[in-house]
Amino acid sequence: MKARDLIFGIATLVVAILYYGVAATIPPSELADPVGPQGLPKTYAVLLAALSLLLIARSVRRPVSNPEPSSPESRIPSPASPLPRVTGMLLIGIAYILVLPWLGYFLSIAALITVTIYFQGGSINVRSILVALSGAALFWLLFIWLLRIQYPAGIWPSVI
Amino acid sequence: MAVGDLIQPLFSTAIVPAAFGGVAWGILGGALPGISPSITMALLLPFTYGMDSTVAVVLLASTYVGAEYGGSIPAILIGTPGTNAAAATVIDGYEMKRQGKAGEALGISLYSGFVGGLFGFLVLVLLTERLSSVALAFTPSSYFSLGMLGLSVIASLAGDSLLKGLIAGVLGLMVATVGTDPVTGLNRFTFGSPELLSGIPPILVMVGLFAVSEMLVQTTAPDWEKATRESARIRFPTPAMWRRIAKPQAIGSLIGAFEGMMPGAGGSISSFLAYNEARRWSRHGEEFGHGSPEGIAAPEAANNTVACTALVPMLSLGIPSSNSAAVLLGGFLMHELVPGPMLFVQHGEVVRGLYAGLLVANIAMLIIGYLIMSPCIWLVSRPKPYLMAFIYALVVSGVYAYQGSLFNVGVALAFGVVGYALRYFAVPFLPMVLGVVLGFMIESNYRRALVLSNGDLSTFVRNPISAALLATALVVLAGSLMRHSKTRAAAR
Repeated sequence: MKARDLIFGIATLVVAILYYGVAATIPPSELADPVGPQGLPKTYAVLLAALSLLLIARSVRRPVSNPEPSSPESRIPSPASPLPRVTGMLLIGIAYILVLPWLGYFLSIAALITVTIYFQGGSINVRSILVALSGAALFWLLFIWLLRIQYPAGIWPSVI
Repeated sequence: MAVGDLIQPLFSTAIVPAAFGGVAWGILGGALPGISPSITMALLLPFTYGMDSTVAVVLLASTYVGAEYGGSIPAILIGTPGTNAAAATVIDGYEMKRQGKAGEALGISLYSGFVGGLFGFLVLVLLTERLSSVALAFTPSSYFSLGMLGLSVIASLAGDSLLKGLIAGVLGLMVATVGTDPVTGLNRFTFGSPELLSGIPPILVMVGLFAVSEMLVQTTAPDWEKATRESARIRFPTPAMWRRIAKPQAIGSLIGAFEGMMPGAGGSISSFLAYNEARRWSRHGEEFGHGSPEGIAAPEAANNTVACTALVPMLSLGIPSSNSAAVLLGGFLMHELVPGPMLFVQHGEVVRGLYAGLLVANIAMLIIGYLIMSPCIWLVSRPKPYLMAFIYALVVSGVYAYQGSLFNVGVALAFGVVGYALRYFAVPFLPMVLGVVLGFMIESNYRRALVLSNGDLSTFVRNPISAALLATALVVLAGSLMRHSKTRAAAR
C-alpha cells in the first residue's frame, strides 16, 4: 500500500505540473475579471501539487501500511489482477468505436457481444453466436426502433 | 404540499410506468452482485436524455428504490449481497435460507423495504421544500459558499485517507475546467477538439467511474454462486411476524432517515447501525446471527429509507450525500434542472412529479418485487461471460445514445480506466464526482461574486447566508478531521 501511495503521489504530481503548464498558456482576455480564466486552474494545480507532495512525504516517511478505505466503491482490484484482461476489455471497446462507422450498429454490437463472451472465458459456438445476434436485435429494437437514436448505418446500405 | 399536488401528476405524464419500469430495472440491477444502485442508475442515465424531464428523474429515483431492495435477493439466496447496503442482510437472511425459510426472509425484506421507503418518502416531502426555501435569497457569493459546503462533504466521503480523497476532489475540479470559460468565453484545455468545447459532461465521468471501472474489476473477479428457482417463492409475513418486526422496522426507518441526510453515510452504514440497534433493543437478541427475522427487517427498512432521505440535501441544496444521489444529480443536470431553491420555483412540477413517482415506486416495489423473482433468479444464474457482454453492450450503446457521439464512448472508457486506477490505488472516487459536478458552480459564482464586489473577498463573509454556509463547511470539515485523527490514533 505504501508503494502504491508513492506511485499515486508521483503520478498526480506529474498531472499537476502538466496541468499548470497548459493553464499558463491560456491567453489573457480583455473581458477578464479579477480572477481570469487562468486563475482557478492554476490554483487547482498548485493545490494538487501540494497534496501530492504531502502524500509522497507520508508514504516515504511512514513505516506502517495505510488502512484500506472503508468506502464501499473503492474495492481494490487484486494485486495479482492480470493487466492483460483489463487491457483486452478496453481494446474491445476501442475496436467497437473504430468499426461502428463501417459495420453499422447491428453487426458492431453483435461482434462486441461475441468477442466479450469469448474473452471472458466463454466459447464461440452456435449458441454464443445466436445469443449475440439475439442481443444485437434486442439492442437494435431498443435504441434504433424505440428510442430513435441515429447510429451509423455502416457501408452496407451503399453496397446494397 | 397538499395531497392533491401529489396525485395530480400521476394523471398527466408517464410517471406511473416510469416508476414501475425504474423499480423493475433497479431490482434486476441490484440483484446482480457487484452492480450497485449507483451503477444501475448510471447505466440508465444516457437513456433518459430524450425523455420528459419529470419522467426521467422519476425513472432514475425509482431505480434507486428498486435497487436497494434488489440487493437483498442474492444476499438471502446465495449469501452474496447484491449491493453494499445489503451486506447486513446476509447475516440473518442467508441463515434463514439455510434453514429452509428463504421465502419468508424474502417476504420480510420486501415488506420492511416498503415500510422504510414510505417513511423516507414522508421525511423527504416534509423537509425538502422547507430547507430549500432558505436558499431563495441566494446571491453568487452564497452559491459559491454552497459549493464549498458541498466540497467539504469530501472529508466525510474520503474513507480512511482524507489526503487521497482531497486529491480525488481536486482532480474532479480540474475536469470541470475543461471547455469554454464561464466568464470570458475562452477555450480551456480543449486541445483543439470541438467535442470538448462544451466541457466533459458529468454523466460520462459517472458512467466511466462507476459502470466501466466495475466492469473492468469484474473481468478478473471470480464468478458468484448460482441460485435455485425453487428456493425463491416469496412468503409475506404473518400477523404475528408483522408485530415482531414492527420495532426493528421503526429503528431501521429512524436510523435510515437520519443517516440518509448525512453526507457520506449512505445505505451501508445505516444498515449495519440499524442491525446493531435492533439487536440491542430486541427481546430475542440471541437469535441474531442465527436466522433472526428482525435482523433482516431492520437493515432493509434502513436502506430503503435512505433511498428517499438521501434526496433531501440533493434536492434542497444540490449537495449529493451518496453515490446514487450524485448520479441522480447528474440526471437533473442533464435535463438542465439545477437542484436547489430555484428548482421548487422554476420547476415545481418536476419536484411534485418526483414525489408522486417515489410514492408509486414504493408501492410498485411490493408488486414488482413479488412478480420479478423468477426473472431475477434467471438473471443471477446466467453465465458470467454472457452477463458481462450484455452489460458492455449496454454501456457503449447508452453512452452513444446520449449525444450521438463516438467521442463520448471513448471519454467514458477513458474515465473507466481512471476509475480502475483509483480503485487500484485505494482512492475513493466519489470526491472526484463531487468535484466534477460542483466545479462549474464554484468557479462561475466565485468569479461573478468578485466582479459584483469589485474584487473584494470579504463579500463571502459579509453576506450572512454565505458566511453561514462557509461556517457550516468549516464545521463539517473540522468534524471529519477530528474523526479521521481519532481513527488514526485508534489504529496506532
